[in-house]
Amino acid sequence: MICRIGDVVRRGRVVSVKQDVDPTAVAAAVRADDTDPDAPVAVTAPSQTTVHEQVGCIHPGMGLRTRTALARAARTRGLTTPYDDQLQETRESLAALDMEDESTASYRRELAETTADIERLQEEVAAARGRLQARREQGLDTTAAAEELEDAIRRLSEAETSASAIRQQLDRTRAAARGRRDTRDRRLRLEDRVANLERRARAHLVDHLHEAFATTVPEVPVGEADTPPDGNAFETDAVTAALAIARLAVLSAPVVLDCDRFDSPVRAYEWLDAPVIYL
Amino acid sequence: MLLVIAYSRGARQTLRNVCRAHEDSVVRQFGRVALFDETEFGAFQALRLREKHDENVQIERTRPFNEFAAVSPEVREAAAAYESRETPSVPYEQFADGTDLPSTESMKGSPL
Repeated sequence: MICRIGDVVRRGRVVSVKQDVDPTAVAAAVRADDTDPDAPVAVTAPSQTTVHEQVGCIHPGMGLRTRTALARAARTRGLTTPYDDQLQETRESLAALDMEDESTASYRRELAETTADIERLQEEVAAARGRLQARREQGLDTTAAAEELEDAIRRLSEAETSASAIRQQLDRTRAAARGRRDTRDRRLRLEDRVANLERRARAHLVDHLHEAFATTVPEVPVGEADTPPDGNAFETDAVTAALAIARLAVLSAPVVLDCDRFDSPVRAYEWLDAPVIYL
Repeated sequence: MLLVIAYSRGARQTLRNVCRAHEDSVVRQFGRVALFDETEFGAFQALRLREKHDENVQIERTRPFNEFAAVSPEVREAAAAYESRETPSVPYEQFADGTDLPSTESMKGSPL
């Protein structure tokens, strides 16, 4: 690997960093596909596997989903599960689903507005009719009032026509939305299936590595301040568990270490059998 | 009531969270479907879900069903008659044939 921090460039399977840098920034540089020449930290190294996300940066205060990490470590050792084919098939069906969106919201809004217009215009027509009636009863000239009524009726009829057009459009988009929801239903079922298969595959992989993990955890070097792990390996602290999993995994991308567990960077490299950036 | 249906894993999870947090505004919940109170607060919760998950949330407004107001007596009587039939295996079409009972087709063609 080539590791550059600021102006300092180091090469090799073991890199020891003297500067004060954030371990997660170094790990991010390891995972980045392109190295940015202007970035404060840049690492050129073999690409990482998914387990690197879990155990590629080991430092106090890290979080760890032990089972997920262990399952991913098992994958780096070439382990497969009886669910893999089905998983791939289901993922492919999922990717093949054609999801397109057309919102019906604009039609709903238009229809609501036009309906409100219609109500207002109906009142106007009634009022104009009342005025015309009154003038007629009083024997007054009705020309203007008749025109007003005619005008109100015309506007109401226009509003009704456009409401009906919008309603038809809304009905059409609703029917299309129903079709799309069938696709969404299929997608949800497939997603559930993928999640279920992933869970089973994970359990299978964890089962396979469980014993190796349980024997590795007590072998993890402990710092002076740390209490040696005992009991359930899955309940051990994150740093210890991550080190054990990193040792079990086949890692070609460098592991960023910011923990006080090894006598020297070379010792860490030997124990993990992985390239190391030692902070 | 407001009928809210989730169509994605994310929307389903949010729907469950909302139902858990606002039990008093949720009339019923079945898996990824819930019925919210027909109040502004129920609408607010439904719209929040729609805002977050867009078309993955369907919202419909339901209304109470009164069969004595919405349905003609023939249809109510047909349902009662068919459910008290003596031969359980007879399909409705056959059961109604040659009687005064409404046909499946005529009922399908008549909106409520």
